[in-house]
Amino acid sequence: MRESTVMFLHYITAILIAITGLIHLLANNDPGIGAVIKANSALYFGNMAIFLAALLYHAFNGVRVILIEMVPDKCWTKWISWAVLIVGIVTYAVGLQVLMVALGFA
Amino acid sequence: MSSEEAKEYALPPEVLEETIRASEELWKPVRKIKFRIYKYNPRKDYAPHWEEHELEVSRGMTVLDALLVIKGEMDHSLGVRYSCRMGLCGSCAMMINGKQMLACQTRVLEAAGDGDVVELRPLDNFPVERDLAADFTSFFEKHKAVKPWIIRNDEVELNNPTGPYKQTVDEYARYYQFTDCIKCGACLSACPTAATDYEYLGPQALAQAYRYMVDTRDDGLDVRIPIVDSEHGCWRCHFAASCSDVCPRGVDPAQGIQLLKKLLIKRKFGFKPHKPAEALPAKVKAERKE
Repeated sequence: MRESTVMFLHYITAILIAITGLIHLLANNDPGIGAVIKANSALYFGNMAIFLAALLYHAFNGVRVILIEMVPDKCWTKWISWAVLIVGIVTYAVGLQVLMVALGFA
Repeated sequence: MSSEEAKEYALPPEVLEETIRASEELWKPVRKIKFRIYKYNPRKDYAPHWEEHELEVSRGMTVLDALLVIKGEMDHSLGVRYSCRMGLCGSCAMMINGKQMLACQTRVLEAAGDGDVVELRPLDNFPVERDLAADFTSFFEKHKAVKPWIIRNDEVELNNPTGPYKQTVDEYARYYQFTDCIKCGACLSACPTAATDYEYLGPQALAQAYRYMVDTRDDGLDVRIPIVDSEHGCWRCHFAASCSDVCPRGVDPAQGIQLLKKLLIKRKFGFKPHKPAEALPAKVKAERKE
């Protein structure tokens, strides 16, 4: 994947974090929106799943960028990207499972 | 010019006198300044050290003038790179009191300010060649990597040119400022990313890549994209803009890199900045001459 695609997604996820984070806050604090997006509904879970995915992508890509700059050796660059991707997927899987248990989907 | 015309253009005696007096004033020693100079020869020395020299300086004396006096009269072994002495070649860029500057364009008193010490060391983020001269090998390799020349696919026209390529003033204005780059290395030296990531292409090479990618005469956009759109390419710029701050020619490489990022995203969605310019037909050329 080209670096521009990775970084474009980085910016998109930043916007997604703000939107889904706001929805999450309103669902928990605004009674009107809370009535539409109920705590244990699929909509609430979906919003949280997107929020978690965006947050992890943005955070782990940030870590990847820092590591690439700190260890600039070209042969390490690919390894760093793959390692961060794998750790990111595992963290998302664990996070999703925690979400499902917490919201009563599992 | 006849002697009558010469008389007409000559300065009035009082103006001439004032000019000579001002010029003498400019070169009269006014202050003693201590020069703290970095000394290191990687082939001989175990570690770098500092040497100090004191010099009477005048108002018009540049740091390069002072260095040449020091080299000629105090320390013949001093390594300093210079050429044009007028801010055009970019050879004498160095750290002057901690900031990237051209030695030939910086006056000693301006650099010293209220103090009486001027500290000189080679450019940051560059290996040291000797004393104040930095090693530019990697810098020029990065510059070359972005293919800083016009790339065309019409070989017939290239081999047998029928005329100049068409380009409007607006098209020229898109990249004009980046043609002012003198490759002095000040931007790369000031770049915080380059301080840790030595593979990073750097502001100079990236701004030059943009300069050619938006040049309507060029058709090498897709050839350069894999080079600049890499892990150590333009996306590593965090827009600190220190490169633009130190550029002695007033070029804004930080802006060039941001425009390059925009260009790459647009290209991702299928946009191309321009169609390669066509050559002006011989008939139009002849009409223009008339």
